[in-house]
Amino acid sequence: MKNFFEINNVTFAASKKNKVNNVSLKIENEGDIICLLGPSGIGKTTILRTIAGLEKIRSGSISLNGRIISSSKTHIEPENRNISLSFQDNSLFPHYNVIDNIKFGADRNSRKTKKLKLDDVIEFLHLQNIKLKYPHEISSGEAQRAALARSLLSMPDLLLLDEPLSNIDQNFKEEIQVKLKQILRDYKITTIIVTHDSYEAFYLGNKCGIILNGQLKQYDDPYNVHHFPNSIEVVKFLNKGILIPATVVDEKSLENKDLGIIKGDFIKHYPKGANVKLLLQPEDLEHDDKSTLKLEVVDKKFRGTNFIYTLKTESNLLIPVFVHSHHVHQHEVEEKFGVKKPIHIDHIVCFD
Amino acid sequence: MIIRFNIWYLSSFLISLTVAVPVLMIFSSFFENTSEYSLILKDTFLLDYIINSLTLLIGVLILTSIIGIGCAYLVSFYDFFGAKFFKWALILSFAVPAYIYSYSLSAFFENYGTAYSLLKSISGDAVLNSSIPKLDGMIGATIAISFSIFGYVYVLTRTSFHYQSQNLIDLGKNLGFSKKKTFLKIILPSARPSIVAGLSLVAMETLSDFGSVSFFGVSTLTTGIYNAWITFDDLTLANRLSFYLLIFIFLLFTIENFSRKKAQYHSLPKSGFKTKTKIKLVGYKSSLAFTVCFLVFFISFLFPVFQMSYWTFLFPKHFFDLNLIKLLGNTLLLVLLSCCLLISLGFISNYGNRITKSKFLQGLTTFSISGYAMPGVILAVAYISFISFLDENIYFFKNYNIKSFFIGSIFGLVIVYFVRFYSLANNGIRSGYLKINYSIDESAYLLGYSKIKTFKNIHLPFLKNSVFLVIILLLIEIIKELPITLIMRPFNFDTFATTAYTYASQDLLEAAAAPAIILILISSAFILITSKFILNEK
Repeated sequence: MKNFFEINNVTFAASKKNKVNNVSLKIENEGDIICLLGPSGIGKTTILRTIAGLEKIRSGSISLNGRIISSSKTHIEPENRNISLSFQDNSLFPHYNVIDNIKFGADRNSRKTKKLKLDDVIEFLHLQNIKLKYPHEISSGEAQRAALARSLLSMPDLLLLDEPLSNIDQNFKEEIQVKLKQILRDYKITTIIVTHDSYEAFYLGNKCGIILNGQLKQYDDPYNVHHFPNSIEVVKFLNKGILIPATVVDEKSLENKDLGIIKGDFIKHYPKGANVKLLLQPEDLEHDDKSTLKLEVVDKKFRGTNFIYTLKTESNLLIPVFVHSHHVHQHEVEEKFGVKKPIHIDHIVCFD
Repeated sequence: MIIRFNIWYLSSFLISLTVAVPVLMIFSSFFENTSEYSLILKDTFLLDYIINSLTLLIGVLILTSIIGIGCAYLVSFYDFFGAKFFKWALILSFAVPAYIYSYSLSAFFENYGTAYSLLKSISGDAVLNSSIPKLDGMIGATIAISFSIFGYVYVLTRTSFHYQSQNLIDLGKNLGFSKKKTFLKIILPSARPSIVAGLSLVAMETLSDFGSVSFFGVSTLTTGIYNAWITFDDLTLANRLSFYLLIFIFLLFTIENFSRKKAQYHSLPKSGFKTKTKIKLVGYKSSLAFTVCFLVFFISFLFPVFQMSYWTFLFPKHFFDLNLIKLLGNTLLLVLLSCCLLISLGFISNYGNRITKSKFLQGLTTFSISGYAMPGVILAVAYISFISFLDENIYFFKNYNIKSFFIGSIFGLVIVYFVRFYSLANNGIRSGYLKINYSIDESAYLLGYSKIKTFKNIHLPFLKNSVFLVIILLLIEIIKELPITLIMRPFNFDTFATTAYTYASQDLLEAAAAPAIILILISSAFILITSKFILNEK
């Protein structure tokens, strides 16, 4: 079966120095959402611009719906691709008000059978109060929502969103995320979203791509990206855990000199006695006041639903631990904090 | 980045190349032989031409600095009786071309002229003629040019003062500066780039002036070029003299560009801007400020208007002798054809530059529009040289009488207008385009809009104000334009400007008054329409 969208061995060049090399990526089904994550300036926007046809490619190919839209020989003009790109910055037409700007999107969606309605989009993106205002009269968050509305209304074959919610207030953001996902699924709008917010990517994406050091390092579903990062770079980029030195004891355990025996299932085989770097995520350790394994609290962050304690081991490793915020008592900095022994991790992720 | 070698690229390239032809022709004059007149000129008048040009330039620069900066300072920082009126009234001086100002000056101060009549009617003494100063020659030219173009310095300096934040002045107060020290150490330096830009324009206009200097009999490089061509039929020498003048003008152009770039460093961030509170003047200070502004307004605008009106009423025969419909028709025909050509080609070039993103094309456009610094006389001469070159050297053109088609015809005249005013049209449209972020175009493409549809639905509605302003400015410039029209016009084809010049050159100043006053009134009306744009408040 042919993939709905496919990038085959393409190098995306933002400049001579700044490139994302040999990217291959596919979206199997129409209506799937993928999210691209990576640090600023790595070339994520260039990837979107190239897919949209605003930049040319020199090698490889990009195909959509079985048709090659970019290759070294073919370049279908942006206006003929039926791909919509919502820019990160305000790209509303300055001399039209918000409603007229959004209507520009409606000009294109005539050939779709199931159409999004203008009023529905305006309501879901909370644009009722600003629809008669001009772009210079609204905030950057409002402009971003209006641009998103315009792109959605165009019902493209492929929707590209560049940091679509970056300027939007936190109180709207989660609501919009939920409705956006619902609309994209209901109307089967295949979407590629560039974002720096991993939670947003994990929520919205069927798959996530991590771009680091000029390469697409990992392209997988969000669960796997979080729990089974495929390289140390991805671990460091996601910043959701730390790497501690450990020695493999047997097929089901390894040992760290500060934390003792750690049990679980290895996702990759390592020989007995091998020295590895073990990924320890905040949810891997369990708090236990009665435990003999006591570590010193060096920092405590309140995150509403939980606390993140940072604990220091004897060899000065700093380990993050989640504790539910309804836990009956709290531990202050410099106090001792008990960690349940032996430590058990469902899936052990190690690196050489 | 997509580089498209398409019809847009080709069109932009050809337009820029056409505009660059005069500059290229002038450079090419160094590969041709000149007549013996060049040797004579070197030994005789060349030094005079250069000295006169420099003297005139220095005089005009000093006078326009004092008038322009002084008035801009008063209306920007002080609130006094008439300040709001003078803010825009002072730009009306743009409506009076230097050559018409010269006629007024001469008419008023000449032997037994208007000044004499006035004094005689007041005192009844007929011996006063000898005590009236004769403002002619170099002094007359300096005054005429200064009062007709000080507006460049005034407008640019006033805009700079207008956008200076109150914070700057407060800073001076906090440092214990007096008003004088605040002006000299803070206000003036931060407006320096605008002042320099204004003075550069003044310098270019002064060096390219033909009507005024020829009327007062001051021999400058520009009149030298005209003489080399008309009197001695030596096009090559005319082009070579043009080259020297051009070098000088390019130098000023570079200074202006440099100062404009620096101006960016002087702009204040939006967030730090605080609107100025004008100082209210009362008593004699208010009267003094009023008197200064009124005097400048009177001398620069009311005086030539009164003088020309006075003669028109005194000799109504000349007014009724004018074929007004024909003159208006001719002027409108030129305006219409030139505007259509300039606006449409300005759009094509800008759009071509925008979508191809070619640095070569942008460089060529910048080079070609630098021709705006060239005096009209030079442009016309260079254009004629080019047509003569084609006629004599290109076999294809020998079979056709292209000279009669391109020289002394409406078509040729409009082409040279096009070259002369292309920078105005191109820059006007470009400044509008600069306000449209490129992602706007990309958004339109991604919404399925083709290049043409994007242009029609997105660019045109956005740029309509810029285009309107450009059309009005072109209209004012074309109505006032003299040397190109004189050289390139068909036989018996007159505009208000050429009619006034023709009468004045025959010493029939009273007859020149009627076309001159109509020209001033039409220009004034259009200046008033665009005053908000000119003052940069819209």
